[in-house]
Amino acid sequence: MIKMNYKKYIAGLMLLGLFTSCKEDFLDRPPLSQITDVEYYKTTDQVLMATAPLYSGVWFGYNDKAAVGIGDGRGGTFFSPSYEMEHVRLASSPTQESVSGAWQSFFNIVGQSNAVINNVTQYAAPEVPDNIKQHAIGEARFFRGLAYSYLVQTYGAVPLLENNREAFTDTALAPNTVESIWEFVIRDIRYASKVLPETPVQRARLTKYSAQAMLSRMFLTRAGVGSTGTRNQSDLDSAAYYAKSVIDANAFNLLPNYEDLFLTRNNGNEETVAALQWVYNGGATYWGSQNTQQAYMAFSSNITGFGDGWGGDHGATMDILQAYETGDKRRKATYMFPGDTYSYITEVANGVRGPLQVKTDNNGADAYKTRANIKKYVVGRPEDNEGRVVQMGTDIQTYLMRYAEVLLIYAEAIMGNSASTSDDRALKAFNEVRLRAGVPAKTSITWEDIYHERRVELAMEGQSWYDIVRLHYYNPTLALQKLSQQDRGTYQITPNTKVNATSWTITSVTPQYYSVTESSFFVPLPAAELSRAPNLRKMPVPYQFQ
Amino acid sequence: MALLLAIIFIQVNVVLAQAPTRHAVTGKVTSSDGQGLPGVSIIIKGTTNGVASDVEGNYSIEAANTDVLVVSYIGFVTQEITVGNRTQLNIGLKEDAKVLNEVVVTGYGEIKRSDLTSAQTTIGATQIEKTVNTTVEQAIQGRAAGVYVTQNTGQPGGGVSVNIRGINSINGSNEPLYVIDGVQIQPGNVAYGSTSSSNPLAGLNPADIESMEILQGPSATALYGSRGTNGVVLITTKRGTAGDIKINYGYTYSLQDKPQQVDVMSLQQFAIMTNEMRALTNATPNLDFQDPSVLGEGTNWQEALFKRAPLQKHQLSLSGGGEKAQVYLSGEYFDQAGIAIGSNFKRYSFRLNVDNQARKWLKLSTNLAVNQTMENLAATQENVILTALQMSPGIAVVNPNGTWGGADETNGASLQYTPINPIALANIVQNDLLRRGVIGGLNADVTLLKGLSFRTSVSGNANFGNSNYFTPSYQIGGRNNPTANLAAGNSSSTYWNWNQLLQYNTALGKHAINAMASHESQSGRYQDITGQRQGFLSNDFPVLAAGNTQGQTNNSSLSDWALESYLGRVIYTFNEKYVLQGAVRTDGSSNFGPENRWGVFPSLSAAWNISQEPFMKAVPLINDFKLRFETGLTGNQGSGGIYAPMTTIPTTWGSGFVVGRYGNPGLQWEETNTNNIGFNLSLLENRIQLEGDFYIKKTNNLLMGLPLPDYLGATGNGSIEEPTVNIGSLQNKGYALSLNTINMDRGGFNWSTNFNVSGFRPKVTEFYSASAIVERQAGFMDFFTQRAVVGQAPWLFYGYVEEGIFQNLAEIEASALPTVNDVELPIQSIGADGAIVDGVWVGDTKYKDINEDGVIDERDQTFIGNPWPKATFGLTNNFSYKGFDLMILLTGSYGNDVFNYVRFANSDPNNINLGRNMMQETFNYARVGGDAANPVLLNPGYDVPRLSATNVNGNFQRITSKYVEDGSYLRLKNVQIGYNIPKTLLARQGVIQGARLTFGVQNLYTFTKYTGFDPEVGAYVGREAQVSSQTIGADYGRYPLTPMYTFSIGVDF
Repeated sequence: MIKMNYKKYIAGLMLLGLFTSCKEDFLDRPPLSQITDVEYYKTTDQVLMATAPLYSGVWFGYNDKAAVGIGDGRGGTFFSPSYEMEHVRLASSPTQESVSGAWQSFFNIVGQSNAVINNVTQYAAPEVPDNIKQHAIGEARFFRGLAYSYLVQTYGAVPLLENNREAFTDTALAPNTVESIWEFVIRDIRYASKVLPETPVQRARLTKYSAQAMLSRMFLTRAGVGSTGTRNQSDLDSAAYYAKSVIDANAFNLLPNYEDLFLTRNNGNEETVAALQWVYNGGATYWGSQNTQQAYMAFSSNITGFGDGWGGDHGATMDILQAYETGDKRRKATYMFPGDTYSYITEVANGVRGPLQVKTDNNGADAYKTRANIKKYVVGRPEDNEGRVVQMGTDIQTYLMRYAEVLLIYAEAIMGNSASTSDDRALKAFNEVRLRAGVPAKTSITWEDIYHERRVELAMEGQSWYDIVRLHYYNPTLALQKLSQQDRGTYQITPNTKVNATSWTITSVTPQYYSVTESSFFVPLPAAELSRAPNLRKMPVPYQFQ
Repeated sequence: MALLLAIIFIQVNVVLAQAPTRHAVTGKVTSSDGQGLPGVSIIIKGTTNGVASDVEGNYSIEAANTDVLVVSYIGFVTQEITVGNRTQLNIGLKEDAKVLNEVVVTGYGEIKRSDLTSAQTTIGATQIEKTVNTTVEQAIQGRAAGVYVTQNTGQPGGGVSVNIRGINSINGSNEPLYVIDGVQIQPGNVAYGSTSSSNPLAGLNPADIESMEILQGPSATALYGSRGTNGVVLITTKRGTAGDIKINYGYTYSLQDKPQQVDVMSLQQFAIMTNEMRALTNATPNLDFQDPSVLGEGTNWQEALFKRAPLQKHQLSLSGGGEKAQVYLSGEYFDQAGIAIGSNFKRYSFRLNVDNQARKWLKLSTNLAVNQTMENLAATQENVILTALQMSPGIAVVNPNGTWGGADETNGASLQYTPINPIALANIVQNDLLRRGVIGGLNADVTLLKGLSFRTSVSGNANFGNSNYFTPSYQIGGRNNPTANLAAGNSSSTYWNWNQLLQYNTALGKHAINAMASHESQSGRYQDITGQRQGFLSNDFPVLAAGNTQGQTNNSSLSDWALESYLGRVIYTFNEKYVLQGAVRTDGSSNFGPENRWGVFPSLSAAWNISQEPFMKAVPLINDFKLRFETGLTGNQGSGGIYAPMTTIPTTWGSGFVVGRYGNPGLQWEETNTNNIGFNLSLLENRIQLEGDFYIKKTNNLLMGLPLPDYLGATGNGSIEEPTVNIGSLQNKGYALSLNTINMDRGGFNWSTNFNVSGFRPKVTEFYSASAIVERQAGFMDFFTQRAVVGQAPWLFYGYVEEGIFQNLAEIEASALPTVNDVELPIQSIGADGAIVDGVWVGDTKYKDINEDGVIDERDQTFIGNPWPKATFGLTNNFSYKGFDLMILLTGSYGNDVFNYVRFANSDPNNINLGRNMMQETFNYARVGGDAANPVLLNPGYDVPRLSATNVNGNFQRITSKYVEDGSYLRLKNVQIGYNIPKTLLARQGVIQGARLTFGVQNLYTFTKYTGFDPEVGAYVGREAQVSSQTIGADYGRYPLTPMYTFSIGVDF
């Protein structure tokens, strides 16, 4: 009988399985290593950290290659016979990686900004103070507006989106008109200027004055939209108004030494109006949270400390080199000449360690170099940056806007449609930029002077192409002429001495001019995108603002 | 349920109370030639009480007079004998050519083959052993109709695609569910990263497998409900049988040959092209290339990359036991070197399977396997096969001073764009994956009363992976990597399954019922942790601790899932003529929200054994004729998607969070309805056996990421991943036929043949969203695109049709030209200033104007290839004579296209500007002479475009039909000659009881028109692999399969 009881026991135990584990929570499995959107946005810190990535990861697709390729390669401030060469040749291709990279990046900024705006509104806990919610929405609208300003200037008419989810299955969606997009941009950034605080909540985050400064750029550009020959005065006035507000508030100042702008230790400096903030080793966790610029631009692995440093073939165009006045300190901070010494960058060549001294290509009596390699955003090895450099990663901030540009916008907005100006306010702002660069002040300035100053001041900061686009809005003939007159050919730079040179002779080897026609003025839409979204070919329609 | 339990208890008592008196019965089981048969199962009918015959065929069992002995042995006709009052009972078993009464393993139970109503294929141990298989799936290739097997990489131990009856899901996994002794493993979708080419089933020793049952029909697969849609492969491992302990040792040695080289340009041709390009771009001429005529062939990179490589396997097994306990024990050491540098695979495995008849009513059994695999994945992950073809022949593999050769300023290569010496990389980069796994289970079978048994099993699987990806500091030519980098990771995945199953068998006159009810819960959990450091003082010490803490990073992930199921099945047989089966399973999955959580998967099937009808008895020609019909529903639970998780992005202010994916709380099960008609026919005393199945599958609510254009922010860094949605419907029609014949069996000479052929036609029938253009696009393959549209098979190649190159000006003027921003490109001309105005010119690619709008733009793309074969087949011929046997296996695929990306990427003459070498054919690029007004093509007859500094026409920037090749092939997969050493020769010594020698060649020859290394391309599993861009049928330098010469010896002790 003992045997039988035992058997009963076993059978009972096993059959018990039929009754257990049927609880519903066995099947309730939210993600274990990620928080879901519904549970997020519950504290001030959480809301603040929901917009922090808008300063980096979402911009990566643009910053990685397109900022140089489109922003400088098309603009005539960057030359390479191999890297991003379609842009350099003004023949941007619809299958180019940077063309789709920029497109994706700008729209990812829009998508994430919309997610912040909608989720903070929907999910933020009542305990989160109202000004923090507004801060998040303000940052999101600033970046969304900025992304659209790049989109419209790069590709022309594109669809405006405020809620991506609603557009998922909207087959009727068409691009919006260029005028609508500019209106959208200005509304977004103006909103930001109203809700963002006067002093940043954290170092290098946006303020009211960041938004006002950016608004002045947007008004200056929009002043030409839809105009012919002259620009819209009320937009010019708005540009001047916002620039003046920023200047009067003393929110920003020029750094005394231009070259210091591109040192990692000066991230978030007082000249920064808005900048992307990277994490040098963030790429291992989230690819795209680091700045890769040095990897592509540094001329050798001897100055990066890693296998990257692929920029030996990349440098200035002949055109921009000719633009620098003698003694302009900005040249050395932007492009490297043979004989330049950079005390703050270490070079390890053939086992020998020392400060970077740029060498000539050959060693003869008339030794020269065929490229002025890129310096901006090249910051050197880990030991030069408190260790904060890895392969394909630095944390040097990427300027979206510097105070120097605000000063130049102010001067240009005051000058407006006049041929020249001697207005004191314009001259003061304009000369502040020149004097810092070590070039003499001017007593009267023309549009050409400002255009020139912007080119040399902002070269290799992804702006030179957009200066041409700004001009193209109201004077396409001059814009196309400017482009076709830029020499993008080869040259030689001969220093007076091989080390610590003080003067250089630049001679053209083979001049090369590329002309661009009205039809190819804009960067083509990525081919794959057009092919899967045929609605992008629809006629642009005005946006219905709510 | 409580009531049922109570009834069972009462019954148990009743049964025990009525035990009849028993007496001993002894005897000998013999085959028709009088030889004693060892290991024959002798069971008292209706119970699990039984014994097995010993090595001489003798047995002894306690039985009552009324008991019926069921005597069964694989390959013989089962006999049933009533004991009566006999104590001595000798049994002669008749051999059975077609083992109709054989019991086969099917989902959740075992049934008689004659009662099978579902399409199911068996692959036995003898077939598995005939080919050299690194991993189990390789053994299936060519053996089973309806199963399309492609090795995605020839890398040792690498991933394999197994598609049973085509494809059912357009973006989820199409891999079947593997059930290894109860442990359910479903290989998921490829994962991006350094271990993407590895195979999840690589730990299993193919020699331990007794049989693989491939469940194809819906009534069998529906029992697996949400995991059965892609078919089920039931793997049963070997178990001991009662009798003498058998010890077997096997040794295999294979020599793997190199692939046939593809032709690339010589150094001389490379130099000529370099000079022309540099002249065209005003670049500095290369001094070394001033006189190309003095240059020779240059470095042969393929010669340097591929080598003959050995494969070795030692296998020792022990099996046997007494009447109450049987054991199978085995150990394996497997070592396969790769034919490409930077690849190899090693496995150590150990298995112990024990069965124990603890009590008459209780059988306990366990199976336990531990394994360790070690792989070097560098070859696939570093793309060495693609890059070896691109290496400049002017670069030495190793310089005379012993350093690695590489691009530098002088040898015509580009520092930035010439790939880094792949031989050097494969040698110095360590990409090791070490995996240890335990798989096993414990089963208890309880006989509750006659015909009613209860079985519970707990099984589990745990895998621990350890990956180390170390890039040392190096100087390769002009490329310097001063800082070493190590990424190391540990992962663990665990799985458990607890199943309870009641089975009831009864027969009442002509009626027989087999019923089963079961409950199952299972759960899995995955966890990994990774760390990375840079800056190692020595390349010889690649452990994280030795790296620099500055810049170090770490990361982790964690996930789990659970599934709970109830299932049941009833098989009703009438007079062994009509079989009716009904089954249902209901699954609750954690991948769906509460409203859609439970899915119900019913199936129904019927079989009519026509040959049992009286009117058929009159047809002696036909031994067996069965018609089958089945219908059923299976599901796919996908991989989640109801939640919107936040992604962490490091920011300068700390961890930032963005929405990582759009959630879709309304997600539903993907469901596949299958209708299947099949037949089994045996003729001429089972000498000809034909089996056929025809099916239509309809899948609704296809689970997939909603395809979104980039402007919706779902692509690239910082994007929000698209939501998973139920996107549409897919239909798949197909057939599978297999024919087994015994062609000759006379005078000791036996010749038999198996031929199987199958095909499937998938078609997208509906997309629920009108705007859906569903694509897989590989950015790393120049945006090679595969598209799915309604009315066509999914993943057709999409691109332009190439119509050669422009021969003259008149042809350009008469043709549609590409546009830039919607304006047609000009024809090349001389501007007012005398400079060339770039435009389309003689020697540029001519594209077909598909929509006839007079220009070429993205609307001129069309479907240019189909990756799915029209048919795949296998043909096996077996010959045996006395101790010798010969097996010849042919496999093939017909009608599929391959996009030869290797050729596309390596025949662009402009690549010379990047310092890359190209296919030999590229050297016939268009040379344009004449003048601006009258350009002349100097070398007509070829179709390679011209060198062009600006390339405004976009030659090689569009994917075109020119690189779509016929991927059909016929492969002489295996030829094997075996010799069993006669017992008479072995009789003189007492140690070795049997020995067998075999010599074979695998992948001996492949007949194909494909111009790449190997037409069996499969799915892309390299470094960039991820679901949204995983290509099918595009050759991105796939690791080829090559001839393998094998010698093996097997010895029984």
